[in-house]
Amino acid sequence: MSEDFSQESLHKLALPWLTSQRPGHRFNIFTDTGDFYRIEYGDIVILNNVPYLVRHNAKEGRFGLDDEVKFWVKRAIDLNTGKTKVIKLVFYEKFLARVGGIEFECFRSPRKEARILNLVGDHANFMHGFSVPDDKDNIVRIIDLIYGKTLADHVRDMASGIDHETYFYRHFPEILGNFIECVEAIRFLHEHGEKHGDVRRDHILADRDTGRCRWIDFDYNFRHRENMYGYDMFGLGNVFMYLAGMGDVLIADIKKANIPAASELSDEDMNIVFNNRVANLKKIYPYIPESLNRILMHFSRGANIFYDNTIQLLDDLNEFRSGFTGRPGGI
Amino acid sequence: MTLTSSGPVLQAGREEYEMNNVNRNILIAADESDNSRRAVRYVADLLGGVKGFKVTVLHIIREPEEDFFPAEAEKEKWYEDYGRKADQMLEEYRRMLVDAGFDSGDVSTRSTVRYCPSMAECILAERDNLEYGTLVVGRKGLSHKEEFLFGSVSGKIVRTARNCTVWVVE
Repeated sequence: MSEDFSQESLHKLALPWLTSQRPGHRFNIFTDTGDFYRIEYGDIVILNNVPYLVRHNAKEGRFGLDDEVKFWVKRAIDLNTGKTKVIKLVFYEKFLARVGGIEFECFRSPRKEARILNLVGDHANFMHGFSVPDDKDNIVRIIDLIYGKTLADHVRDMASGIDHETYFYRHFPEILGNFIECVEAIRFLHEHGEKHGDVRRDHILADRDTGRCRWIDFDYNFRHRENMYGYDMFGLGNVFMYLAGMGDVLIADIKKANIPAASELSDEDMNIVFNNRVANLKKIYPYIPESLNRILMHFSRGANIFYDNTIQLLDDLNEFRSGFTGRPGGI
Repeated sequence: MTLTSSGPVLQAGREEYEMNNVNRNILIAADESDNSRRAVRYVADLLGGVKGFKVTVLHIIREPEEDFFPAEAEKEKWYEDYGRKADQMLEEYRRMLVDAGFDSGDVSTRSTVRYCPSMAECILAERDNLEYGTLVVGRKGLSHKEEFLFGSVSGKIVRTARNCTVWVVE
């Protein structure tokens, strides 16, 4: 530990955030972050001679499940600047992911995330940060906190109390613009030989300060097969389907609501991987333009051709956008 | 020309008149899968004992991304283990072809480590470098869903190969 970080100096630095310290309180100080379970609220992590005051572990909710505590991700205060950071510690994890009944081996890679943070720099559509080795050369990522909701929550809030048609003409043009930026950002990664690895709607945050959508969490990786970017493309398709549908359009909900189109839906109209989600949204919402629906159908069970890359998807999205005014009859 | 072959399919046609000049070097791109084994078996059964053909069995070792291994030692061990398995596999395929009637001098094997964002492109690059007239691969039989998520090596080879014949063996 550096001389600069005596208990006394740390107490002074941390005072604004720790209002009720017991007299004689001594900080636990970590320069080796390998055992992240031991690092708790009120502890100090020193990285590259910068002290961080740990506040709490991050949580991640997913698709209605209870929030899962991520012990390797800490919310912390940079005691030199007073800024809140997200500190991602090294957690090597290999596991079998299962998507639509297909299993494949995934792993977390701190190195990949560090590399991408360096690559994206201050790109407006990604989270920002840097990596630093701790005393044991664990690759720790220090990430700027983004204030804002996930894009999925943003859409959910927007959709509250309005019907799809109103959403589609009033809000979707702006959402589409955000989504196209997100696809451009993934294209940027792919052009630099990187995959995001876990493209899903709750990995896009709508930054309330900048108004831009930003990708987070790049540490997932997997040994790809033929198409290195196929899984990212799949994720983009799912996100787009969600945005265009004002949420997942589930077959069970359609039937429950006695929507006449339910009886017209065939297997080919469903999402290619998630068989309970409708891809052919035009059958449900007939005002959806054909040029938009064609994009969605690339991600359906009836698709004969798939998007190989983001460039193809962007071409179609931009073509659709150029004719979409956001008003009924605008196409 | 592309032949998708599930049985003895060698069509006589335009090629027949060019037989004297035709490139008779055959490249079988193989891994440890059953479909690769079937591809080797097919060539062995079809052309074993027929003079004039040279066969190379190619195995491309996809260089694992640096992220896959937490430590360098694990990476080295992986290469060592994998390399040994690949050598055994290629020797087995070579033996299969020789036992079917190929002269041992007409059968070779090659394994190479490559960074392969696309395995199909790596295989085709090898074919281009070595100028084989025929490329043989097995078909894994992926579901529509799997092909969408991860892509198909044989599918991409069929779509993008130029200046060679492709046999896809089921």
